[in-house]
Formats: sequence, structure tokens, C-alpha cells
Amino acid sequence: MAVVKVYSTPTCPWCVRAKQYLSSKNIAYTDINVAVDRNAAMEMVKKSGQQGVPVIEIDGNIIVGFDQARIDSLLGLS
Amino acid sequence: MLQLKMAKQEEKTKNKSFDLVIIGGGPAGLTAGIYAGRARIKTAIIEEMIAGGQSATTEHLENYPGFKNGVGGVELAMMMEEQAKKFGTEVIYDSVVSAKLEGEEKEIHLASSVIKAKSVIIATGATPRRIKAEGSEKFHGKGISYCATCDGALFRDKKIVIVGAGNSAIEEGIFMQRFSDDITFVQDLPYLTAEKILQERIKSYPKTKFYLGAIVKSINGNDKVESVTIKVAKDGSEIDIPADGVFVYIGYSPKTGFFGKELKLNEQGYIPTDENLKTNLDGVYAAGDVRVKDFRQVITAAADGAIAAHSVEKYLENK
Repeated sequence: MAVVKVYSTPTCPWCVRAKQYLSSKNIAYTDINVAVDRNAAMEMVKKSGQQGVPVIEIDGNIIVGFDQARIDSLLGLS
Repeated sequence: MLQLKMAKQEEKTKNKSFDLVIIGGGPAGLTAGIYAGRARIKTAIIEEMIAGGQSATTEHLENYPGFKNGVGGVELAMMMEEQAKKFGTEVIYDSVVSAKLEGEEKEIHLASSVIKAKSVIIATGATPRRIKAEGSEKFHGKGISYCATCDGALFRDKKIVIVGAGNSAIEEGIFMQRFSDDITFVQDLPYLTAEKILQERIKSYPKTKFYLGAIVKSINGNDKVESVTIKVAKDGSEIDIPADGVFVYIGYSPKTGFFGKELKLNEQGYIPTDENLKTNLDGVYAAGDVRVKDFRQVITAAADGAIAAHSVEKYLENK
């Protein structure tokens, strides 16, 4: 099972979409709310170089934004 | 195993067919979906993000009638989506790759399937226009953002520059006050263009600074944004404003890129319509921010949706 993390804020529509998509494919993920968790926010910026959400981590691979093709490819979804 | 996989693939690519396909699930598309559902037109709405589109990034809507204390952008969109579904309209979450809009039978090509339709309402809306200044590509997503509601929390206690001073800019500036009181607006016009009530509200934050009649010349820094250089139109002087984050609200670009040449657009890419919201193509209508109009609001988008659905109903009856 892939380890999936979603760095998000509650007020970001693309974050909601990303989480909905993972749920629709029955993929378990950890949702990290960077609006409240400042350490996680710093970790996200460090890992991705991005100061924008969502950032999705799949088995250590970083995806910036809701990039469905990359999510599918890393999770082996067709 | 292979057979199973192939069967699955076939099911996925199986074409669906509707009387009406609405591209875009913002206020225009959702309202069209409500009216079309009630007219018992077999309807699908295709949305790439979540219901509400741009309005879902608005934290709080204060000018939508009926909600005297305001309503959340996402909350209003969810209610509209439920309302459309209640009347039988289907909502499909996928991206449109291309569309064939000419002729009796329209085709909407999605990432993994093709949908056929007798009529189409284009309600794709618009996306924030990107800033073009030195450093703007380098720092895209790395200090430059187009959505304070989304990314604002990552700039807690930081120095913020907001480019633009229309409704979106000022609303997001008010939203950002919860994270930082060091906020500077830069606006090309020599005055604020937001509603008067928003102007009053932003001016109530005493630390907020405004540079009016000034353009952004460059966004500077090594690994991250450190400052914004602006040029003042009046005397040509340049000012360097220390900044960690830059939020940009300088208007919108219509989302019409995936349509072919058969659909008539204006020079900016918006869709011209007649008063019934028909485009130059039979059976194809446009509603909301994507069409040529003066005033782009949730309520004017919703009104467009109702008119477009009504026009579709008449079009389908006369076929």
C-alpha cells in the first residue's frame, strides 16, 4: 500500500478535489492541514519548494497541485 | 485477468449521451443544471475542480440576496449542487480535453471518455490572469499566489504585497489580515476599484499601505521572494517593497482554450452571445464569466444559467 500524504488547507478547492479523488479510488491518505500545523507547512515548503497547496506525497514522490495523471501513474491507477 | 481489465476499460470509455451537457459547475452551470433538471431535460454538468468554481475560493459572499449575514462561497456552491442533483441533473468530475460543437450531435471529449449531447452550455468561467513582470515565472507557486484563501496560511506574520485593488484584491486583503498586518497594495490605476464598502473596510486596518498609479516592475529574491520593485507612473520613480509573499488579482482570462475555431470568441477569448445567450453555433449557449459582459458576479452568473437553460429548452422543443 502506498503511503499518501496530502498537504492542504481547508479553504482550498483543489485540495478538496484532490482528497475527493483519492477517496473515490479507495486510496487511504493522511491529510495534513498546513493552516494549523506550522511545522508541517515548513516541511512541505522544504520538500516541494512550493508555497502553495495542495502538495501530495506518494511514497516520497512529490506532486505539486492536483495532477491527476501523475497521481494515477504513481498509484498504478488506470 | 486481461479480459477483466479490458472489460473495465470498455466500461470506462463507454459513451454517454445527454440532451444537455453543461461545461463548468460554477454558479452559472449549477443554476442552468437546476432549471434544466426541472424542465426534465437529461442533463450532465462537467466540473474539473469542485462545485462553485471561482466562487468556491471566495471565503464569504456578502452580496448574494437572501443571505443577510452572508454565505460561504463553498457552502453556497454545495447547496446549488445538491439542488441541481435533486432535480435529476448528473454531476461528472472530470476535465474537458476538447469539444466538437458543430452540427446536431455535439461531442465533449473528457480525459477518459466521450460524452455526446444535443445541446451544450459553456459555463467554464475564467481563471486569474497571471502577472507578467521580471521574476514572475521563477516565483510562481514559490511566493506568488493567486488564491489567498488557499495559500494565505503559509504566510503567517510575513510581509505581503497584493497586486490589484478591485473586489477580489480587497476581499483577499481583508482575509489576509488574520495572518499578517504587514500588507501593501499596488494598483496600476490611481484609485481603488473595489466596492465602496470594501474600501471602507480595508482602510479600517491602519497598517495597510497603498501604492496607487504604480506597476510591478520585478519580483526579486534568490531562493524565495524578498522584495517587489514597483514603478510609479507619475514621476517614473522606482520603489523597492520588502515582501515574502505576492498575491495577484489583476483580472481574469476566460477558459476557452480547448474549443476549436468554430466557436466565435472576442479578442480576449470571451464568448459573444445574443440576449438568449446563444453563441454563433446552433444548440450552443454560454453563461457566466466566460461570456462577453460587463459585470461578473455570482448573481449575474446564476441569472445567465437560468436564461441559458430556458433557451436550451426552447431549442430542444423546436428540433
